[in-house]
Amino acid sequence: MAAGGGGSCDPLAPAGVPCAFSPHSQAYFALASTDGHLRVWETANNRLHQEYVPSAHLSGTCTCLAWAPARLQAKESPQRKKRKSEAVGMSNQTDLLALGTAVGSILLYSTVKGELHSKLISGGHDNRVNCIQWHQDSGCLYSCSDDKHIVEWNVQTCKVKCKWKGDNSSVSSLCISPDGKMLLSAGRTIKLWVLETKEVYRHFTGHATPVSSLMFTTIRPPNESQPFDGITGLYFLSGAVHDRLLNVWQVRSENKEKSAVMSFTVTDEPVYIDLTLSENKEEPVKLAVVCRDGQVHLFEHILNGYCKKPLTSNCTIQIATPGKGKKSTPKPIPILAAGFCSDKMSLLLVYGSWFQPTIERVALNSREPHMCLVRDISNCWAPKVETAITKVRTPVMNSEAKVLVPGIPGHHAAIKPAPPQTEQVESKRKSGGNEVSIEERLGAMDIDTHKKGKEDLQTNSFPVLLTQGLESNDFEMLNKVLQTRNVNLIKKTVLRMPLHTIIPLLQELTKRLQGHPNSAVLMVQWLKCVLTVHASYLSTLPDLVPQLGTLYQLMESRVKTFQKLSHLHGKLILLITQYFIFFQVTASEKTKGATSPGQKAKLVYEEESSEEESDDEIADKDSEDNWDEDEEESESEKDEDVEEEDEDAEGKDEENGEDRDTASEKELNGDSDLDPENESEEE
Amino acid sequence: MAGYKPVAIQTYPILGEKITQDTLYWNNYKTPVQIKEFGAVSKVDFSPQPPYNYAVTASSRIHIYGRYSQEPIKTFSRFKDTAYCATFRQDGRLLVAGSEDGGVQLFDISGRAPLRQFEGHTKAVHTVDFTADKYHVVSGADDYTVKLWDIPNSKEILTFKEHSDYVRCGCASKLNPDLFITGSYDHTVKMFDARTSESVLSVEHGQPVESVLLFPSGGLLVSAGGRYVKVWDMLKGGQLLVSLKNHHKTVTCLCLSSSGQRLLSGSLDRKVKVYSTTSYKVVHSFDYAASILSLALAHEDETIVVGMTNGILSVKHRKSEAKKESLPRRRRPAYRTFIKGKNYMKQRDDILINRPAKKHLELYDRDLKHFRISKALDRVLDTPEITVSIIKELNRRGVLANALAGRDEKEISHVLNFLIRNLSQPRFAPVLINAAEIIIDIYLPVIGQSPVVDKKFLLLQGLVEKEIDYQRELLETLGMMDMLFATMRRKEGTSVLEHTSDGFPENKKIES
Repeated sequence: MAAGGGGSCDPLAPAGVPCAFSPHSQAYFALASTDGHLRVWETANNRLHQEYVPSAHLSGTCTCLAWAPARLQAKESPQRKKRKSEAVGMSNQTDLLALGTAVGSILLYSTVKGELHSKLISGGHDNRVNCIQWHQDSGCLYSCSDDKHIVEWNVQTCKVKCKWKGDNSSVSSLCISPDGKMLLSAGRTIKLWVLETKEVYRHFTGHATPVSSLMFTTIRPPNESQPFDGITGLYFLSGAVHDRLLNVWQVRSENKEKSAVMSFTVTDEPVYIDLTLSENKEEPVKLAVVCRDGQVHLFEHILNGYCKKPLTSNCTIQIATPGKGKKSTPKPIPILAAGFCSDKMSLLLVYGSWFQPTIERVALNSREPHMCLVRDISNCWAPKVETAITKVRTPVMNSEAKVLVPGIPGHHAAIKPAPPQTEQVESKRKSGGNEVSIEERLGAMDIDTHKKGKEDLQTNSFPVLLTQGLESNDFEMLNKVLQTRNVNLIKKTVLRMPLHTIIPLLQELTKRLQGHPNSAVLMVQWLKCVLTVHASYLSTLPDLVPQLGTLYQLMESRVKTFQKLSHLHGKLILLITQYFIFFQVTASEKTKGATSPGQKAKLVYEEESSEEESDDEIADKDSEDNWDEDEEESESEKDEDVEEEDEDAEGKDEENGEDRDTASEKELNGDSDLDPENESEEE
Repeated sequence: MAGYKPVAIQTYPILGEKITQDTLYWNNYKTPVQIKEFGAVSKVDFSPQPPYNYAVTASSRIHIYGRYSQEPIKTFSRFKDTAYCATFRQDGRLLVAGSEDGGVQLFDISGRAPLRQFEGHTKAVHTVDFTADKYHVVSGADDYTVKLWDIPNSKEILTFKEHSDYVRCGCASKLNPDLFITGSYDHTVKMFDARTSESVLSVEHGQPVESVLLFPSGGLLVSAGGRYVKVWDMLKGGQLLVSLKNHHKTVTCLCLSSSGQRLLSGSLDRKVKVYSTTSYKVVHSFDYAASILSLALAHEDETIVVGMTNGILSVKHRKSEAKKESLPRRRRPAYRTFIKGKNYMKQRDDILINRPAKKHLELYDRDLKHFRISKALDRVLDTPEITVSIIKELNRRGVLANALAGRDEKEISHVLNFLIRNLSQPRFAPVLINAAEIIIDIYLPVIGQSPVVDKKFLLLQGLVEKEIDYQRELLETLGMMDMLFATMRRKEGTSVLEHTSDGFPENKKIES
């Protein structure tokens, strides 16, 4: 961990946010999020330890950060009043944190004091600081920048010790050799500098894109037969922007080839790299690479010389939400950073969002090639911060609240609080399915962004579409716009319509108002909107009355039938509510043959009312003689059993039907009799 | 005997688009044949001579297609880079084309290799044309120059450096061998005369000019650029006659119909518009699948060819009209038969007795005459105009209820269907509402016996409910408009009170 403690942030990767575990015990995790806040989390209990906002956090966002090595901090621990006194207690206390900013300044932040310790500005960089490295022993700080220079700082005096040109282009990464005498820098090429003389010792070439991370992987050369001069035979690792390969290089004697000896392949651009140093020949190097797609790849490899094929990972770790219900698929949770614990057997994983990461210790099981952890991070949104420790106030949230999380590419979905599910089932399912390939994920992303874009486009382009449609009289275009049902959209569109299109729009609406009420109702919405929004414009038109005259007349003629129509509607409603309910009830009665008392009572009531009306009908026609008998019978029977009455009614219905038929027939005959009379009358 | 008076069928104005002679003419084309080219089709040109082949310029090739062929009958592919503007000579035997590398090549239709190559332009040549005397070629290029070439000795005759931006379009006069015009991205259209060393006329289009066109008489010039098509009178020294803005994207090509009566413009908005050259109104419009880059009409408008950005060439042929004549004509009695005896002059003692002319009655009129009212009604249910008139007539006779009564399930649902279809039409509504009420009154007792009819009643109710909602909205809108009109009148000086007293009772009448 010691070497990886500070340097593993990658400044050039757009997805990566500068973050680092504190050295040795990994008690803290520092993260400089994109909003300019520096947050320090306690890894043990996932609490926010400190939060600090640099005064210039908006103009100069933090581009890289590095924890000072513990020994150094003890040496000059600033909370003691005896400054610069030697070795005063608490050697494990981590304190200083160096922050590089986009404007070239370097801030030293003290976690113990919780405030800014000092600022390294004078004589330093005048462009974005790309990487900061603390020297293990000397208390020096090395930084590199887009201004092509590497600067050596004296932290105690906050002065520049040395500044030299490191490359012809921006220097993107730095790493100090295990013995502290050499410095690796990566710009266009990787260079190994002798710190004493600031001379280039070796060149390494092979990356096409800017190198984002550099790290020594061994502290002893693999073969100990030769005398060790501190650097020859050591391996180091480099990752580059937009590159899915991590290269391993060996520092060899002058004449040997300078290309990479081997490489590791991962699924996406590396965002965060951590490794355990191998101290002897037999111990394998363990490497944890967090990719931009939110997965961690673990490698375990004994470095011994050249290997042609890129190595694939021994183990991949993914985290996903438990899917809600059967339909929803589990969503992946991005892993942000991973660090090996000091025992080398477990891994600290930081996952979730940059603003509220969850830190968890996971035991390593190297036998499984794929691990998928199911975590419900929605619960983690409950504030865990103890207000006594920090000044941070977190809003109290109830369980109903919907939490929208700022997403990162590939994990853009807002995470909603999910009801806790049976995790076992989900995890099985997830681990059973293969991991999603990048292509699929890209596809999914594309679709989503497309959808989003479309929605945005709709609101913006409606006025444009409508204007164009009106100008070119394009039926389809007009249909597309005018048939919208969203009232808000209509309002917004009308608001944005240019004034000269208002009259054509009204004319188009006039045309469309004549149609079926289904579509015409929508047109009225438009018309109303136009009239309300552009009333002042319309009232200034000198020829408004002739322009809107036809529209007015059209509407007036249409509403003339309002009264009659309402009358008809009333009839229809009565018809439907009364008769349909009644017949549905009787129908259900008949099918059921039910005898429950409540239903019977209802039935009796309806029957009577219907009888009366049918009475009227038939009384008018007064055709059948035996009707009166029936009536009498029914009246006499009314006191008797209801079921009988039911049957009776049925019988009557049938009779009624017959009656009507005959009656209508008669009437038809009557018509033919009547008609000539009418004719003659008129003539 | 007093004759039966046929029912007067009320005529209503026909709604919707009017069918004009133009729509008939321009719709009379077959479904398009689509030919896929190698790249965007930048130019289509018809040979002026039969068999009216056409040259299609797309990517680095020029294809010659026959009238009805879907495969190119000839291909010129000797271009190193994109070819532009392949144009036939008036006699249809030579073809000239520009190229992206600045060369102008002249081909014989029957040959393969170029006859002449005119080198002199330093940038892409987007427009070439033959002058009226057939022996010169005009070319305009992206190096801002316009050059006149001599074909026989393949030499440059003249160079005009008056444009200040790319020259992208041009055409030569069909009458005068010395006149030609060019349009440029510097927003100007210039007319050059080979006899002088300067342009003789320049008009400001206001947009980068994409296409120019001279009327056959040479008096009118049409320029297209941006969203505008502008017509200029050359004889009046370049006076702007009309500015048309009917496309919503850049207009890329222009074309005249064979008669010269119609102007066609194609645009990136995927439409071709047809203008009348007398009124300059859009008389028709075609839709295409992609942005249009080139457009050409064959002799007598037999074929419309449109080239698009996606490399598709759409070819529409006119429907042949020969078929109609081939129908065997029924023999009718000669005219003589009809006028037989009509011209008989009355003699002195003759008494002329006129036989009443036999009146032809429609079927429904015959039914009505014989008082088969239900049948008459059923017969006409498919044409709402007639139905409404008949319902009116029945109502006048007072027998509408009888006509509607006594129907079985199928017949009544037929009538209800008619009501549902037409009740919402304002011109029929008053009559049909009345009919609907009568139907309800008649069939009230039997509701619920037939699920089909019940369903129809439910539908009718839904429709009426919607219509009422709609009319309520309309009433509100009318209120708004009254307000607007009121403000207008106040300006005109009439008193406000007077108007409100005008408008108020109306509304009240409707609402009550």
